Amino acid sequence: MATTDKEVKELIKREYEHGFVTEIEADTFEPGLNEDVIRRLSKIKQEPEFMLEWRLKAYRRWLEMDDPTWAHVDYPRIDYNSISYYSAPKKKEDMPQSLDEVDPELLRTYEKLGIPLHEREKLAGVAVDAVFDSVSIGTTFKEQLAEAGVIFCPISEAVQKYPELVEKYLGSVVPAGDNFFAALNSAVFSDGSFVYIPKGVRCPLELSTYFRINAANTGQFERTLIVADAGSYVSYLEGCTAPMRDENQLHAAVVELVALDDAQIKYSTVQNWYPGDEHGKGGIYNFVTKRGACQGRNSKISWTQVETGSAVTWKYPSCILKGDNSVGEFYSVALTHNYQQADTGTKMIHLGKNTTSTIISKGISAGRSSNAYRGLVKFQPGAENARNFTQCDSLLIGDRCGAHTFPYIESRNKSAIVEHEATTSKVSDEQMFLCRQRGIDPEQAVSMIVNGFCKEVFKELPMEFAVEAGKLLEVSLEGSVG
Amino acid sequence: MKPAPTLSSAFLQPAGNALPGPLLRLREQRGTALVDMPLPTRKTENWKYSSKHLKLSDELATNLPAGSATTSAAEDGYRVVFRNGVIDPQASRLPQVDGLTVQRFADLSDDEASALAERLDNTLDANATQMARLNTARFEDGLLITLKPDAVLAEPLFVVHEVTATASGSAFPRIYVDAGRHSQLTLVEEYLSSGDQPVMVDTVTEFMVADGAQVTSIRLTAEDQNVQHIGATGVRQQRSSRFESHCVGFGGPLRRHDLQLRLEGEGAECKLNGVVVTQDKQHYDNHTCIDHIAANCNSEETYRNIAADESHAVFNGRIHIHQDAQKSNADMNNKNLLLSTGAEIDTKPELEIYADDVKCAHGATIGQLDEQSLFYLVSRGISRREANVLLTMAFINELVTQIPVEQVRDSANERLNRFFDDTFEEA
Repeated sequence: MATTDKEVKELIKREYEHGFVTEIEADTFEPGLNEDVIRRLSKIKQEPEFMLEWRLKAYRRWLEMDDPTWAHVDYPRIDYNSISYYSAPKKKEDMPQSLDEVDPELLRTYEKLGIPLHEREKLAGVAVDAVFDSVSIGTTFKEQLAEAGVIFCPISEAVQKYPELVEKYLGSVVPAGDNFFAALNSAVFSDGSFVYIPKGVRCPLELSTYFRINAANTGQFERTLIVADAGSYVSYLEGCTAPMRDENQLHAAVVELVALDDAQIKYSTVQNWYPGDEHGKGGIYNFVTKRGACQGRNSKISWTQVETGSAVTWKYPSCILKGDNSVGEFYSVALTHNYQQADTGTKMIHLGKNTTSTIISKGISAGRSSNAYRGLVKFQPGAENARNFTQCDSLLIGDRCGAHTFPYIESRNKSAIVEHEATTSKVSDEQMFLCRQRGIDPEQAVSMIVNGFCKEVFKELPMEFAVEAGKLLEVSLEGSVG
Repeated sequence: MKPAPTLSSAFLQPAGNALPGPLLRLREQRGTALVDMPLPTRKTENWKYSSKHLKLSDELATNLPAGSATTSAAEDGYRVVFRNGVIDPQASRLPQVDGLTVQRFADLSDDEASALAERLDNTLDANATQMARLNTARFEDGLLITLKPDAVLAEPLFVVHEVTATASGSAFPRIYVDAGRHSQLTLVEEYLSSGDQPVMVDTVTEFMVADGAQVTSIRLTAEDQNVQHIGATGVRQQRSSRFESHCVGFGGPLRRHDLQLRLEGEGAECKLNGVVVTQDKQHYDNHTCIDHIAANCNSEETYRNIAADESHAVFNGRIHIHQDAQKSNADMNNKNLLLSTGAEIDTKPELEIYADDVKCAHGATIGQLDEQSLFYLVSRGISRREANVLLTMAFINELVTQIPVEQVRDSANERLNRFFDDTFEEA
């Protein structure tokens, strides 16, 4: 939306009069991306000088890059100058005032997923009572975390409060110029979470973003940084099973994990953004760079993801296994329906001795969707006795969908062992017959079979997530049979 | 950004003219299309691992002169000899079988040649095999094998490709096989070389396999270390036909084989076996692609690579099941033995599936010889070297013994033994 000159001038004027605070409440940048936009963004966020420099450097790298075209997905070219790169949180008056104003279709989905009532309001973007929201849940949790010495805050806050930690680790796993979307994110990232677990601390809670504890509205360029210091442990949950109300079509997030000696990070994602309608119109583009570095000896990073949303998904949570004896894990369920497209997988880069990795990927495609696993397992010459096991299975529901596997396996160490297996199958007539015969309706039968197919991955999810994920598949598969 | 390197114009200079008009015109047409052809780089997906080994210097741009006959025709067996890409009629001995014609491209009538020109390259995906296009722009001779319906060639037909590398240059041999309904043929291709100047062999073999025909293709790539070898084999199979391929390859500065199959008729079947052995700083890259286009087709693929010293072996297998190819069965298996930490193995078994009622599986492993098995053998008084040889041989023997022509089996075994001698030292 083009803003008139007058409005722009007014905006600038207001900024001048009232300083940063009022401005945050008021404005949205006009669409377009240039160095000035980044400078303004950085200023609004009151970032130290090094952050601005870092953003600008990323932006300059980004300018030299091209959109990646290698993924097995198809979407119209994105005009990056038609996007607004800063949008202040919405005012309460603009939000729906109660659940009565929310799309009944959305409410039915919440019902099926069994989401608690007060969470439904938050998810639907209803202006909830701030006292109820932050005091009752948030504050108690925050006290508990502070006691343990865990830092868990929005990354924009961390940039100001803990600049030395941010400067040290930000971009250390996903460098600013890593790839097209990571560079874009580095230049304009809106907000996200920062987690630091001190030495030897086992984080007393499962940390989760979005509504459960932390601030919502992280915007479309989310940036997450988790550092687990020596001997610590953290389990982090991202996303939620409920479909989120979201106005931004493009999401380019970056997640960086750093695990030092003997540290463990468990990162679980459930992603169910708007996938577009049954004709493939609309839907979110989810282009995410997620990478974890097992820096220290005996460290472990485990990715678990359940992906059912987004029109286009482009996502490869990876592990760099640098420390000796470090462990990388990737458990994934990706479900696509209607015209959804997913190109997802992982990279396991083995550098250290005795490093091991496990990849379990389950792809389910229904309708006219396309679902691809793309993975890399790489053993460098120093990866003595490294070990990888990969299994990627695909399940097809319907004869107009696609399931693809593109595994890259590269070995340069003779003592390293890699095993890769992949199968493709469909929900067989025999399985369906058996269920139908016992009086189970077809939709339930498919959901049961699919849940069985994904069991290996679900058991890796934290319990509450696992229950929701099962239901989520059921809802996502609606209308895929018959 | 740096512009991608393109094919040197030296490669597009006209080659010899001893071909019928329609083929000369096809060659010229292809040559024009290749002007400014970008050369593969690390970013070219299907040359990702091998582009660094490809050296297309200008000195390779001339076609090697047709060699003169050094051996006389074989006493028995059927045999055609290509010398530097040109058929040597003196050294060839052709079968006299009803329904079988074997012709040189140079001997074709204009009508025959224009029919052939229409069909050349039709089995290959132009985007994936640009080096095969270079062959079409440069070939000076070729072999057309036509089998009429029901014609059966009981004995294998040997095609020996020899390059004499006394000077730098390239050879562009070409074979086109048209196997009629229910015909049967076994074709053996052997790639050999002499001389020590840097040369390139860019070769293309195409098979049209009609309804119910059975074709076996055996390929032994064993040129010397001064020869870059880039080969492409294209196959189109019709209803209920069967195609079998046995490839045995020994490494070199650059070895590349693209094998592309299209299962176009219902009930078609194919079986692809491959063995690759590399040592020193050698390289070998096998790319296979099986397109299941019709329903009820079966494909079975087994490739094994062994890489020793500082060598580099690559396997890229692709199975593409098209939307109407219901009830397809596809099985791909790639196992690799990495004998040294200086060596590298890259493998990429891909599945692309658009039909739901299919059974597809692939498996890939990379590892070293099993210590326990070695210990078992050594503890029974077998020397460590012998144990190594036994286990390595066991890794590929399953595939070698399946080669249906004894002569090729023997020749492969002899070369394998030489490899074992080099690789496993006497303890």
